[in-house]
Amino acid sequence: MTPRQETIYKWGLYALATLLCCVLQGLVLQYVKVLSVFPFLYPILAAVLSTLEGPLAGMIYSLALGVVCDLTISAPIPCFYTLIFPLAGLLAGTLARSVLSSGFLSALVTSAAAFLLTGAFHGLIFVFSSRPAWAETAAVCGRELAVSIPWVLPVYFLFRFVWRRCLDDQRTRS
Amino acid sequence: MKEFLKRYGLWVLFATAVIAVGLALLSVFSTTSSPLVNFAQTVTSPFRAAYTAVADWVQDKQNYYEDTTALKAENEELKQKIAQMEAEVRQAQSDSEENERLRNLLNLREQRRDLSDFEAATITEHSTSNWTSYLTLNRGTDHGVKKKDCVITESGYLVGVVSDVGNNWCTVLNIIDTDTSLGAQVFRTDDIGVAEGDFALMGKGRLRLDFLPAGAQLLNGDLVVTSGLGGYYPSGLVIGTVEEIQTDDSGATSYAVLQPSADFDSLSQVFIIKSFDIVD
Repeated sequence: MTPRQETIYKWGLYALATLLCCVLQGLVLQYVKVLSVFPFLYPILAAVLSTLEGPLAGMIYSLALGVVCDLTISAPIPCFYTLIFPLAGLLAGTLARSVLSSGFLSALVTSAAAFLLTGAFHGLIFVFSSRPAWAETAAVCGRELAVSIPWVLPVYFLFRFVWRRCLDDQRTRS
Repeated sequence: MKEFLKRYGLWVLFATAVIAVGLALLSVFSTTSSPLVNFAQTVTSPFRAAYTAVADWVQDKQNYYEDTTALKAENEELKQKIAQMEAEVRQAQSDSEENERLRNLLNLREQRRDLSDFEAATITEHSTSNWTSYLTLNRGTDHGVKKKDCVITESGYLVGVVSDVGNNWCTVLNIIDTDTSLGAQVFRTDDIGVAEGDFALMGKGRLRLDFLPAGAQLLNGDLVVTSGLGGYYPSGLVIGTVEEIQTDDSGATSYAVLQPSADFDSLSQVFIIKSFDIVD
């Protein structure tokens, strides 16, 4: 395999893993309401992949994920997720590479950061629409974080499996 | 053997005849069965009992097997019949509910001559985000649906407003969503205000009635309907009832918290108002 083919292969596997998570979100998690909110996987996907692949690749992946979310999920403003997910990916990748060591703990922390960033952005939009609701925003953000954070575990190990497999393949060939 | 028969044949025949005559005479003159019959019956009786017992057991088993097989087949057939009847009951319930909805809609049509064109739609998806409240319907531009069309229940309760439209789908922002804003009127007092979603209330399934005139005297339970001012939306669609009156953070103005009349969680079918006449 040429390096180009390897890259296509790896990102193809990432796309499949993402599709699996999207199906899980749409068919199962959306109907499992706990504390009046349901688990939301997309910020976790952005954070986990950025943790594994670094800020630049993570940001590009998160941008694509944001576009998909904006096409399928209603948001307070157009391009909400297209704007916020690359930022979350950049933040997660930078944190994982500079501050924390890449691993499950790092994925956990960066996922929480992605949720907080998304929540803060929602709060800002309410402020700009002359209807600030910081207390309620914090409450929803906290509940969403609480019910979603356990899902970092399966998502992290799914993406780590793809990452490790591609890395092993590269090592075997070289 | 041949030699024996030649020599004693007549004697054997004679002896046999004598025994036969003797037995015949005994059976004629005896009140019980003949000794020979009695002897034969006595000897074979246990064997016959055993044979009968075995035969009965085999017959039982055969009957049991036949009965079980027949019962299994009957059970299977009954199960299929029950499943078919359950499906029919479900279909009947669904038809009955649809019938009820259409009857209500017919009543609404008769009451509201200004609402001229309805499109029945099924909800295909409820909100997919924790931050917004909306529905996705299975009707779109192919069916004449446009942005800002109002969506109601069969009872005329306002559900929301169409925000996005595709060929065969549309999304409806519920009236409790933060992006929804409608001209509203208190039915009892005719006070005009604006009903709009508020994130702080959305989680509780409520919305607020703002910009009420100074001195508006609202009571809990007051019905709030669309005002129809500006001609953007039909007038008189039921938004909800006043639950409580609250003062703004500034303390200068007050607003009413409204409980929507439509129950968003239990909705399965709604009606899109595609056109309406403006009533003065």
